[in-house]
This record gives sequence, structure tokens and C-alpha cells, in this order.
Amino acid sequence: MSAEPRQNRLGLALFVLYTALYAAFVAVAAFGTFRGGAPDGGLAAPAFGGLNWAVVAGFALILGAFVLAVLYAALARPAEERSEA
Amino acid sequence: MIYGTSMLAIVVFVTFVTAVLALSFWLGSRARSAGGYFAAHGQVGWFVNGIAFAGDYLSAASFLGICGMIAFFGYDGFLYSIGYLAGWIVALFVIAEPIKRLGRYTLADALNARFQSRGVKLVAAVATLVISLFYLVPQMVGAGALVKPLLGLPHWAGVVMVGVSVTVIVATAGMVSTTWVQFIKGTLLVVICAFVVGLILERGFTVPATPIRADEVQTVRRDPDGSTVVNGAPLTVDNQLDTRLRAGHGVGFGSIAALPGGVSSTGPLGPFAYIETFSQSTVLTWRKGVDAQGATTFTPVERKGSDLLLPGANPTFRGVRDDRVASKLDFISLMLALFLGTASLPHILIRYYTVRDAAAARKSTVVGIGAIGVFYILTLYLGIGAMTSGALDPTDSNMSAPLLAKSYGNGLFAVISAVAFTTVLGTVSGLVMAGAGAVVHDLLRDGFRWKMSDEQQVRVGKRVAVALGAGAIVLGILFEKMNVTFLVGWAFNVAASANLPALAMLLFWKRTTKEGVIAAMSVGLVSSLAWILLSADTLEKVYGYSAADAAAASIVPFSQPAIVTVPLGFATLVAVSLVTGRRGAAKP
Repeated sequence: MSAEPRQNRLGLALFVLYTALYAAFVAVAAFGTFRGGAPDGGLAAPAFGGLNWAVVAGFALILGAFVLAVLYAALARPAEERSEA
Repeated sequence: MIYGTSMLAIVVFVTFVTAVLALSFWLGSRARSAGGYFAAHGQVGWFVNGIAFAGDYLSAASFLGICGMIAFFGYDGFLYSIGYLAGWIVALFVIAEPIKRLGRYTLADALNARFQSRGVKLVAAVATLVISLFYLVPQMVGAGALVKPLLGLPHWAGVVMVGVSVTVIVATAGMVSTTWVQFIKGTLLVVICAFVVGLILERGFTVPATPIRADEVQTVRRDPDGSTVVNGAPLTVDNQLDTRLRAGHGVGFGSIAALPGGVSSTGPLGPFAYIETFSQSTVLTWRKGVDAQGATTFTPVERKGSDLLLPGANPTFRGVRDDRVASKLDFISLMLALFLGTASLPHILIRYYTVRDAAAARKSTVVGIGAIGVFYILTLYLGIGAMTSGALDPTDSNMSAPLLAKSYGNGLFAVISAVAFTTVLGTVSGLVMAGAGAVVHDLLRDGFRWKMSDEQQVRVGKRVAVALGAGAIVLGILFEKMNVTFLVGWAFNVAASANLPALAMLLFWKRTTKEGVIAAMSVGLVSSLAWILLSADTLEKVYGYSAADAAAASIVPFSQPAIVTVPLGFATLVAVSLVTGRRGAAKP
């Protein structure tokens, strides 16, 4: 049982982090990418490798979700094993 | 369009589906108790369960719908991929483990662990049924759309095939075989899509030898006598919507108009170079319209690749490019619903009960997120590949992925279609299981106080599953004309509005009362449903109003309710809990 609060805190911290990234993506898409109906900066701006920020951010959000999930599993497990011991 | 049937396709398809059903029988023969039937004894391994998560989640809407939307409108389809996956973060970090500790078989069990209240059980069961139903209908419609080209059968035949197969799977075996079906399907879907993406990168982009001119408008007219006229002549196998295009240009719908540097073909491309080249190309898309004779027209429109790699190319999301904040709300609300909806879907939630403990649930989710993430990255390539394959059906975006496969030969087409059909089978099985569990445990046993032994629960559960399967068949036939993605969007909105406030507050706010949970779930369910049923989109696409009449008659400002109804659910829960909590405290 002692592992639960720690894991909940960790989960919530990672959740807040990802939510902030996702919210930023939605906000930039909605308010920072178009002016007068035409693309202007924001997600339309070139990022790198010839890709625009829309594609890079999309890939990053998908990969980021997986990275955070792995991180969570790795950090949460030792605490649980300790509690079982 | 008429799709020629191929013997190879039929053989591959029938073999595949039969093999999956046989496996389900065999595995199902090993599950006997109620725990085994509804939750696979809680003993499914975390890796299998993780891939089964992916199998559950990658429904017909994900596979057919997202690929189709990217093929038609570019980046807007990919927004769904991003939102659907982001939803898993909510599921993993906030909901997964607490719910595993709380529940036994159903969402209602979890919500009710603290209260032992009949009211909570009843409301949660009704919410589960409504959401499952919303999610079932598009799957059935998708199945009908799939068998038309593959087997040359009418829509209803596909729906009946899915309905009967699923009923057999669920009635014989329950959660064990449902899990295995999802595992097989999840694996195949990711592996085969990766293979197709390899072919797409290998093919690169090619400009047709003779460019398609802007005046080459294609028309389809359905006459009152039921006959269909394509480009002025009756529809036959030799005169289809893309026949004239293929004869004159060597490609059908969906092609590249110009490549960077004026080259005619790129040859094989790497994954990044592929998207870079696309963004610098001009793409020939087709705008749907209606001419003076009432025929549907498809007019060639050249669009910049860079424009198709931004949100708002699809009419549904056009508001995001508008300068007014109000027109952006629809887009923001949908992104919110996708984010919060995943963690609230009953058929995803029940998968947390099929593993041994919280740690296994966590590992399952990581595996699931990995498999789903890979698939969603692939969707961008599948969609762009379909968009430029010259093989689109401009009348049906859902067929884009299978038709892309067909451009590589009938064998691949058959395999993709069989996997897509099994996708539907798996998802529908999961949904029927969720519905049956809700009815047996929450409505009958706890709500109406039926006394049932373990064996009786399984027997009644199977009967309920058969009834749900039959209901889904009827709805799948009735809703043939309805847009698949539209319905899935509804399911996410309703799930997020009804379940999420109750789930989240129950886990993180100690003063939540049962009255608060009941009120929040009822308000979220009813308000999101009412909003959807009164929106301009529904009036137009479901009740058949003209676009102008629908806009005038609608009393809600946009079609996606989540941005209003989710906060409403939270507010209701807090308000009711504070009032009832204080009353409870006043009389110790």
C-alpha cells in the first residue's frame, strides 16, 4: 500500500506534463497557425528535416506518450517491489 | 463504384475469419466460471493483454476512418491519431491502477466500490450501454462497407456476418477468446500496415504521364428508376467513375500533379524524405459538388502538399483557420473529447480487469501504447500513400486503405480486408462483452436484485450477448448511410461527459458522494446526448435537413459537446456532493 501515493504522485506529474504539451499543441493549432485564413507561422513553420511543425509535433506527441509510459513503468516498479518485500 | 470480386480474395478472407473463430472456440472451451467468462479469470498475461488493448482500440474507425480521412483531407485525419493516443495518457496515469484496485467486472463495480449504491450501479450500467451502442453502430456499418467490394455482397450481408460471428465468439467463450481475437488482430494490423508502408516508401511518388486537366469533371447521377449514370453512360463494370481517368491518364482518383524540381518520378524515398517531398508537391484532389441536373460532381482541384499537412483542410475542421474564436471551439472541443474519451470507454476499461494486478495493468498499457503509437504513425504514411495512389473511391473515404492495398495486388487487398473485418469482429466482441457485463451484473443482479448463481450469470450473460448482437445487426443495417467517424466522435464525447467527471473525482476527491456521482453521470450523459441530437451536423446528416435549414434550426452553436458538457459534469458532481455531504455530516 505504501507504494500507491508515490505512484499516484508520479502518474499525476507525468499526466500534467503531457496535458500541458497536448494543450500547447491544440492552442498553437487553433490560435497561432493561421491569420486571415492563410497559414502563418506556428505549426506551418518549417521545423527540421524538411518537415513542418505540425508533423514534427504530431510525431513527438505520439512518441512522447510512449516514452512517458515507459518512464512511468520503470520508475513505479521499484517502489512496488519494495512494498512487496 | 463496382468492385470486381476475386476468388483469391474470397478464399483468403474466409480462411482467415474461420481460423480466428476456430481458435476462439478452442480457447473458450477452457473458461467456465463467471470470473473466467467476464474477466478471463484475471489471468491474461500482460503482454498479450497489452496487444489486446491495441486490438480493442484500433477499431474499424481507427483503421478505415483515419486512413480515409488523411487520404481525403491530409493532416486532419492525423489529428485523430494524435488525440486517440493522447487519451491513453489519461487512462494510464490517472485511471488505470485505481480502477484495477476498485473494480471487479465492470465500470459500475469500480464506481460503486465505495458506495454500495443501487443508484450508482443503474446509472453506470445505462451509461455503459449507451456508449457501447454508439460505438457498436459505426463498427457494424464499417463491416457492411468492407464486404461490398471484397465479396461483392450487399451491405446487410456484411452486417449480419459480423453480428453472427461476434455472437458466436461471445456466447461460446467470453473474455478469454475475446482477448485472444484482439491479440491476433492487433498484431496482424500493425505488422501488415508496416509492410504496406514499406511498399509505399519503395514506390515513392509518380506524376501521371498526361496530367489531369481542371475541366475533367466526373459525374454520377442516380435516376428515379434506380439506375446509376456515370459520366453520361450507365454504370457497368467497364464504365465506372474512374474508368475514363484510367484510360486517359493511367491513374484513377488521387494523384500527384507536380513534384519538386519538375521530376516525373521520385523512386524509393526514406520516411522523412517522403513527407518532405509530399509537402513540396502539388496534389490533385477532388471536390465533391452537385450540378444543375442533380448529379454528384467531382471536380479536380490542385492543392499544395504543404497545405494538406496542416489542420483545417477538411470542411469539418475548417473553423480552425478562421480568425473568430467561436469557430475554433468545435475543433478544440473535439480534441478535448478525444483526450478524455479513451479513459472513459467501457470496453477499454474492462480490459483492466483481465490481468492479475495493478503492475500487470500498467505493463499492459505500456505495451498497448507502444503498439498503438506505431500504428498511428503508420496512418500518416498509409493516408498519404492512398491520397497519391490513384486508387481512391471518391464516394467512400472508408475504402481508402483497402483500395491502397489493392493497388499492390489482390492478395494484399484480401489480407488487409480480412484483417479489417477481424478488426470489426474483435471490437464488436469487446463492446458486446462490456454491454453484457453491465446488464447482468449492474442492471439485473444489483439493480433489480435478481438472485443468480455463478452459472446462471454466465447463462444470462450469453443470452444478453446474443440479444445485443441481434440489436447491433438491426442498427448496423438501419444506419447504413451514416458517417462512421461522426458516430465514433459521438461515442467519445458521450463517454467523456458521462464517465470521466465521476471517475476522476471519485479517485481524487474524498468528499465525493454517491448522489454527486449519480447526478454527474446523469447530467453528463443526458446533456451530451441532447447536444449531439440537436446539433446542426445531426440535423443535416441524420434527419436529412438541408445545410441552411439545419444551421437555422439548431439550438447549439457547434457539434462537439465535450467542451461544455464535461465541465458541466464536474460542476454538477461538486455541487451535489457539497450539498449532500453537508447534509450527511449534519446528522451523524
